[in-house]
Amino acid sequence: MGRNRLKKMHKGDKPLKEKYRTKRRTRDLDLIHGDMKSPGSLLNQEVDLDKPGAAQCYCLTCAKYCIDEKALSDHFRGKPHKRRLKALETEPYTQEEAERAAGMGCYIAPKKVEVLLQERLGTEDKEGDTSMKPA
Amino acid sequence: MRVEKCFFCSAPIYPGHGINFVRNDSKFFRFCRSKCHKAFQKKRNPRKARWTKAFRKSAGKELTVDASLEFEKRRNEPVKYNKELWQNTVKAMQRIEEIKTRRQNHFIANRLKKGKELRKLADKVEVEKNIHLIKSPAAGLKQRKQMVEVVMERDVEQMEEN
Repeated sequence: MGRNRLKKMHKGDKPLKEKYRTKRRTRDLDLIHGDMKSPGSLLNQEVDLDKPGAAQCYCLTCAKYCIDEKALSDHFRGKPHKRRLKALETEPYTQEEAERAAGMGCYIAPKKVEVLLQERLGTEDKEGDTSMKPA
Repeated sequence: MRVEKCFFCSAPIYPGHGINFVRNDSKFFRFCRSKCHKAFQKKRNPRKARWTKAFRKSAGKELTVDASLEFEKRRNEPVKYNKELWQNTVKAMQRIEEIKTRRQNHFIANRLKKGKELRKLADKVEVEKNIHLIKSPAAGLKQRKQMVEVVMERDVEQMEEN
């Protein structure tokens, strides 16, 4: 028996508890800030047939695998990705900031962080690789 | 024993309260109650949730930079019990708390002053714009007309005399 209805009418209908289980926990923003500092290993992953698109099309900022190059470029143009870029523009929230907000020391406002686009990051890496090889 | 601070709302967490979450990179997150824990699970930003201390400080609602805020600290130094030191510390804590609350209240009172001024200005503008509702533009028009007539008559009489 195939699927009767093409439109997924009850896709997101599940209790919040199930949705936000630690089992399904996605990568947090502070971890992604760490990833962005050393993107090499995530952008050039080995072929893993268990992951979507064999782990070859990874979006660094959204911590997500796309099935192919086209899906990735479509994702770059989409709203969730742009929203994520915006969210990454400020420093990640930390326990230290929580403590400073609680009155343990003066509160220091979060600074801006420059978010490099992944497309550019990839090209820069490749250029870096080529320049490294002759030397 | 240590009174920790909530990761999300910065409230104190006394022993036996709240919940700890350890992420798979072995980082600790302490929450004072299920409200904060749930907000964290939903990946809310504490700087944007209006009820957290982080929001109030980052939005300039509360006193952020002051010498009175520098006393409370995580001091990882064990100190041997000394009655005098203990008494003095408690006394100092009470005094600091008193000064801190006074300064914080002063800051908020100052912050609210601007709104008061703005509201006054807006009221003035509204009155100026809608003055016709308070005082009719036709008020005293008849009397003014009569006055003009009287003056005209007097002028005519003077002209005739001349």
